[in-house]
Amino acid sequence: MFSKVNVPFELYEIKILDADDGRLLKISQELGLALSLDEMRRIQDYFHKKGRNPYDIEIQSIAQAWSEHCCYKSSKYYLKKYLFGISADYVISAIEEDAGVAEFDEEYAYVVALESHNHPSAIEPYGGAATGIGGILRDVLCMGAQPIALVDPLFFGNPDTSEDEIPAGTKHPLYLLSGVVSGIRDYGNRVGIPTVSGLLFFDESYLTNCIVNVGCVGIARKNRIIHSRAGNAGDIFILAGGLTGRDGIHGVTFASAELDEKSEELRSAVQLGNPIIKEPIIHACLEIVEKELLTGMKDLGGGGLSCVVGEMALSAGFGAEVHLEKVLLKEENMAPWEIWVSESQERMMVTVEPKHVDEVLYIFQKWDVPATIIGSVTAEKTLRVFHHGYKIYEMDIEFVTSGVEYCRQYASLKETVDETDSTAPPESYEEALLEILKHPNVASKEWVIRQYDHEVRASTFLRPLQGRLNLEGHGDASIIKPTISSKGLAITVAVNPWLIKKNPYWGTASAFDELVRNLTAVNSTPHSFADCLNFGNPEKEKRMGEFVDCVEALGWMARGMKIPCLSGNVSFYNETPYGSIAPTPTLLGIGIIEDIKNAITSDFKKRRNAIVLVGETRKEFGGSVYSRIFRMNGKVPRTSPEKLKNYSNTLLESFREFDVKSCHDLSEGGLAVALAEMCIASGMGARINLSEMKDETYTKLFSESNTRWLTEVSERELEDYISFFKSRNLTASSIGNTGGDVLEFTDGKFSFEIPLEEAEKAWRTGLTRFTGW
Amino acid sequence: MQKEDLKIAVIRIEGTNCEEETVMAFRNLGVFSEAVHLKQFYSDMIRDSEQRSLTDYNCIVFPGGFSAGDYVRAGAVFSARIKSVLRDDLRDFINSGYPVLGICNGFQILAELGALPGFDEDKPVGKQEMALGINDSNRFECRPSLLKHENRGKCVFTKALEKEIVMFPVAHAEGKVIFPAGKEEDYIDRLRKNDQIVFRYVDAGGNYAGYPWNPNGSIYNIAGLCNVRGNVLGLMPHPERVFFDYYRKNEIGDGRTIFESVIEYLLSL
Repeated sequence: MFSKVNVPFELYEIKILDADDGRLLKISQELGLALSLDEMRRIQDYFHKKGRNPYDIEIQSIAQAWSEHCCYKSSKYYLKKYLFGISADYVISAIEEDAGVAEFDEEYAYVVALESHNHPSAIEPYGGAATGIGGILRDVLCMGAQPIALVDPLFFGNPDTSEDEIPAGTKHPLYLLSGVVSGIRDYGNRVGIPTVSGLLFFDESYLTNCIVNVGCVGIARKNRIIHSRAGNAGDIFILAGGLTGRDGIHGVTFASAELDEKSEELRSAVQLGNPIIKEPIIHACLEIVEKELLTGMKDLGGGGLSCVVGEMALSAGFGAEVHLEKVLLKEENMAPWEIWVSESQERMMVTVEPKHVDEVLYIFQKWDVPATIIGSVTAEKTLRVFHHGYKIYEMDIEFVTSGVEYCRQYASLKETVDETDSTAPPESYEEALLEILKHPNVASKEWVIRQYDHEVRASTFLRPLQGRLNLEGHGDASIIKPTISSKGLAITVAVNPWLIKKNPYWGTASAFDELVRNLTAVNSTPHSFADCLNFGNPEKEKRMGEFVDCVEALGWMARGMKIPCLSGNVSFYNETPYGSIAPTPTLLGIGIIEDIKNAITSDFKKRRNAIVLVGETRKEFGGSVYSRIFRMNGKVPRTSPEKLKNYSNTLLESFREFDVKSCHDLSEGGLAVALAEMCIASGMGARINLSEMKDETYTKLFSESNTRWLTEVSERELEDYISFFKSRNLTASSIGNTGGDVLEFTDGKFSFEIPLEEAEKAWRTGLTRFTGW
Repeated sequence: MQKEDLKIAVIRIEGTNCEEETVMAFRNLGVFSEAVHLKQFYSDMIRDSEQRSLTDYNCIVFPGGFSAGDYVRAGAVFSARIKSVLRDDLRDFINSGYPVLGICNGFQILAELGALPGFDEDKPVGKQEMALGINDSNRFECRPSLLKHENRGKCVFTKALEKEIVMFPVAHAEGKVIFPAGKEEDYIDRLRKNDQIVFRYVDAGGNYAGYPWNPNGSIYNIAGLCNVRGNVLGLMPHPERVFFDYYRKNEIGDGRTIFESVIEYLLSL
C-alpha cells in the first residue's frame, strides 16, 4: 500500500492509482484520514490525471482540507440557504474569514469569533479548553484586532451523576467542569483578556461529550483591518510564534468523527497551549499591524500549515511555494507530513512584501517571538512544498482547498414533536421555587465567574455579576468600553438546550429571543451575532434534521430582526455510542450602547419602587425547568421576529422616556426566578400580586414564555409607564413593589412567601454544593 | 519639576498584562507615560531609538499580570531578571527619592526584590522579608475589595487621598501577605510605627473582616504597604481599574488619586 521514497527523510508514496474500493477505504483508515469512499475516489481520479501516486504529505493535506471541521461539507448548503446574507450597512466582513467584522463607530470596527473545542476538552479538559481560548484569540488577532473580551459557554453531564453511571472512557462531569474552568482561567487570565460572559448548563446528554465553546470580541481601526489572504505574488510567508511539534496531529479529523471509549488514546490530537508565548505574539502582531507592514495574516488552527498556506494563497488568487526545512521544530526527525499538518499552538502566518521583511523580523525578535521565512507567494494557483531541496508536494490549490459539499438527507422534527401539556400545580409553591433556584442550571455561577479576571484591561463597565459588592447576582449582558469614546459594546451569550432538545425549531427561535432580551435588558441595541452550532452525527437523518430545523429558525429570527450573523462555526459528531448531545446552537450577541452611563443593571435599586412585567405570559412549559424537575410535558415557548422587534424596540424607547432603575429578562424558571435574582442581587425582597394576570398561578410564576422582562420604576412614573406600552398595544402589568425581606406572592386568595435569606441560600449554593467553594 | 517634564515608565516583560491601562491612567492626567520592555534597558538587539535607561524616568511602575507566566512563584522570574540586569540602577532610583509603584504582580515583584517592606533606608533593594502567598481560597479570584486608607502621610501615592474607604477590585491567586514565622507581631509593630501601612481590607460597614472582604487571608488585613521612606508602594488591588468610577456614573473613580498623588509629589521635587 505504501512504499518509502528514496530521500534522506521519511516520505512515502501512497499507492492509490490501482487500489480497489476496499483498499481505498483501508488507506483512509490506516493513515487516519477520515475520508469517505467517494472522497477517496475523487483523489484517485485526480492523481490518475497527474499520472502518479500521491505522497503521504499530499494525501494528508487533502484529508485536513476536506474534513468537516475545515470545509463545512455537511452544513454549508443549509447555512447558505437559511442563514447567510442578512445584510446591514454596518457589516464589514461576515462569514468569509476567521472572524466577522462590523462597524463600531467612524474610526473603529469590532471583530467577533465563536467556535467549539469539544472533542479535545472531553479527552483533556484543562489543555483542551486552554487551547480553545488560544485559538479564538488568534482568530480575532489575525484580523488585526486587539482582543478585548472572551466568552465561554460550557455544557456538561449532570453534576450528580454517580460514578457507576459513567461509561468506560468517559470522565465525570465535575472533573471535566473543574478542568475546563481551570484551563480557561489559567490561559485567559494570563493573556490578560477579560472573560466577561458565558453559560454553564448541565444535561445528561453531555455526559459522554461535553461542549466547550469559546468566543472572543476584538477592536480594530477600520483602516487597519487585515485579511486572511496574501497580498501579491512575491510576498514572503513568515511563520511566527510557537515551534512546531507532534502535538495536535489530526486534530481536525479527530473533531470530525464520533468519540468512543478508545478516544482517550488520541491524546496526541490535543494541542498544548502556552499563554506566555501568546501574550507577546499579540503585542508583536499588533505593532506590525499598526506600522502597516503586513499584506495578510492568518492564524494556524485546524490543519496547521497545510490549511493556512493554501487558504491564504487561494483567497488572493495565487499559489505558494514552501520550504519545510525552514520551519522551527520542537523535536527532531519529524516526517514532512507531520510538520505540514501539525496543529501546534501559538503560531501565526503573515505575508509581507520583501522590503518589509527585516522590519517584521526585528519586531518579532524584540518580543522574543521566534519567526522565520518559510516560503513565498507565487503567481500560478499551484502549491509546491520542498523539503531539503526535494519537491514532495505539487497540487492545484483549488482542488485541495475548495473542499467538498454535501446536501445531506434530513428528517425534520417540526411535525413530530409531542407538546401535549401535562403540567399541574406544584404540591408546595415554596418548595417548588426553592427547588428551581437551587437547580445548577439556574443557581449562581459565581464559582465560575470569579475565577476569571473579568476586569483586566480596565474597560469592563458592566460586569457579569451585578448588585451589592461581593453579594451580586447575574447580569443579562456585560458591557465593554473599547475606546476612549463613551460608546460601549454589550456582550451576551444565549441558548437553552432543553428547549431545543424538545423542539429544535422553536427552541432555537427562543435562543435568539433570549439573545435579544439580554442585550436590550442592559439598554443596548442588538447589532450582530455569531453562532456555534454543536450537533451530533450529520450522517444520521435525525441529527441532520435537528441541524436544519435550528438553522432555519435562526435564519427566520435573524432576518426578521435584521440582525446579521457575522461569524460562525459548526461542530458535528458530538456523539458517542451512548447517544448524541442535545442540539446546542450557542449564540453570542453584540449590542451597541451609545453612552455607557445609560446602562441598566439587574439589581433592584430602591425600596417601595414598582415592579412591572413587560410581555405576555402563556402556558409554555416544554423544556422548562419546572417541567424538567417535575417530569411533565408541555409546549416549547413560541415567538416571532415581529413581536420580538416590537417589544424590544418599545422597551428601549421606554428606557429613554422613563427613569427605569433596573431590568432583567425572564428565562429559565420564568417570572419567579427573574424576580428572585433581582432581589438577591440587591438584598431587598418584593411583594408581588399576580391577580391582574390571567392563567393559573403556577403558569404565571414558572412558565418560560419568550419576550418578557421585569423592570423597576418609581411609583410616580408607574401609571405613565404602563400606558406607554398599552398605547402601543403591548402588554405591561404592574405586579408589585420592592422592599421587605421576603418574597411574597399573592394571586387572588392564594398567597405564599419565602424569606429572602432562604431563597438566596438556595440560589447561592445550588452549584457549590457540587463543586465546593 | 514641570508636568511636561515628567516621564513615567510602566515596565513589562512577557506576561505582564495591565500595562496599557496603567499607562492610560497617567496619560489621562496629562503626563507622559509609556510601557517599556525590560529588554529596552539592557539588550543589544534593541535599536538605539528604542533603548532606555532608568534615569530617563521620574517614576516607574511594575504592573499587574502574570510575568513570565508566574509558573514558579508569582513575580519570581521578573524579579530575578531585574536583580541580574537592573539591581543597582533600581537601588539608586529609590535612593534618589523617585517613586516606584507595584500593583498586584508588581507588588509580588517588589516583595521578591526585598524593596518591600523595605525597613532599611540604606538598602532599598535587598533581602526578601515578606511573601505574597496563595490565597486562603486556594485559587484565583476576581472581586471588588474595600480598602481603608490608614497611612498618616508618609506614602507619596496616597497623600492626596481624602476618602477614608475606597473600592479597588482585586484579581489574583497569590495575594496573601505573609511575614516570617514568629516575627509577625514585630513586623506589624514596626510597620505601624514607621507609618508604612497604607491600605487594609474592610467590609461594607468599614470593619476589618474576613473572607471575602479580606480576599486572600492577608495578615492584619494588609492590602498595601510602603517602604520606610514612603516612595515605594505595593498593593494587591488595582487602582488603575477604577481610574473612572466603578459604575461609570461619573468620571472620577477611587483609583485616580493614587496617580494624582504621585504626580503632585513629583512636581514638588
